[in-house]
Amino acid sequence: MSKSKLKIGLELFWIFLKIGCFTFGSGWSVLAQLEQEFVDKRKAITKSDLLELTTVGKSVPGIMITNICMLFGYQMGGWFGGVCAVVGLTVPAVFILTAVTFFYDAVKGNPWFGYAMRGIGGAVVAIISGAAVSLGKEALRRWSAVLICAAAFLLGLLTDISNIALILIGVVGALCWYGVRLGLEKKKGGDGK
Amino acid sequence: MIYLELFLSFVKIGFTSFGGMSMVPVIMEEMGRHGWMSAGDISNLIAIAEMTPGSLGVNCATFAGTQTAGFLGGLAAVTGVLTPAFTLTLAVAVFFARFRTSGVMKAVLTVVKPICIGMILLVILTLGEGSFFPQGRFDYVAALIAVVCFVLIRWKKVSVPLLIGLSAAMGIVCYGLLGLG
Repeated sequence: MSKSKLKIGLELFWIFLKIGCFTFGSGWSVLAQLEQEFVDKRKAITKSDLLELTTVGKSVPGIMITNICMLFGYQMGGWFGGVCAVVGLTVPAVFILTAVTFFYDAVKGNPWFGYAMRGIGGAVVAIISGAAVSLGKEALRRWSAVLICAAAFLLGLLTDISNIALILIGVVGALCWYGVRLGLEKKKGGDGK
Repeated sequence: MIYLELFLSFVKIGFTSFGGMSMVPVIMEEMGRHGWMSAGDISNLIAIAEMTPGSLGVNCATFAGTQTAGFLGGLAAVTGVLTPAFTLTLAVAVFFARFRTSGVMKAVLTVVKPICIGMILLVILTLGEGSFFPQGRFDYVAALIAVVCFVLIRWKKVSVPLLIGLSAAMGIVCYGLLGLG
């Protein structure tokens, strides 16, 4: 590894460490900070490039924001840059959550904490329902998608099929569908566009 | 070995999640299968992960891992959940130009996203049962809090950490001070 890449990596680690301390509300706040730091201030990347990284990062399995940081870090400083960006972003969260977990264990038996958690239990159902509605608006635009969703729901409800198996079936099905479509397009032989 | 088991569980969770809450169903399944956490614990886990800085995935992994096997357990779980970024995403970064124009991931997402929604609906059922029917009795206070929170989040765009704080206060007032439910 060249010395300059090492330096870029360490710099990325430090910047993402700072960003990682203030990432409330999912990954979108990280993106806003990335834009401020690298598009506006350093002019290291254009806004449209950052958007493209986001689109690709969203389509790879895993945590969206760590995927985007990996892609971004790689563009800046190779694989080492990518790893530094991801680790930097993650370290603050790990320390904060470890502290929170020990605190949670300490107050778990307290009745007042129990009352608060019962109230929060209602909120969590609402939060996930809200997330499901937003996701549904985006992903259930076609009847075929609604059917797939209903089939997954019923299979999960009525059989012992695991969630991982459901997703794998979906991935394999999608790859077959993609392959068939690609084959058909090739057969048509490039007429039209 | 517990650390290896945690790591492998979260590798699975990482590779089968496609953004945001889509991770929750698989976390619930893996935690339940190993007997590490109950549905009620999962509800607390989501609340805590949403309230603290950091992404939901990293926070869930740290909390679940630390609860199960201490600090090293948390570290093992986080390493697991980051594995897709260090492998698959790195590969995508290397072949970025080719990957960007290929439609293959778009095809996968078109199918997998609806499946994730179906799984999330199942999670809502399970968590709803735990929150609204604790010990088999209907808890109208929790149901009411859920309705209020849903309205606030859908139509008033109240932020999630604030919503969790509000619901905690409502829980303390209704169950603790007024003795309802």
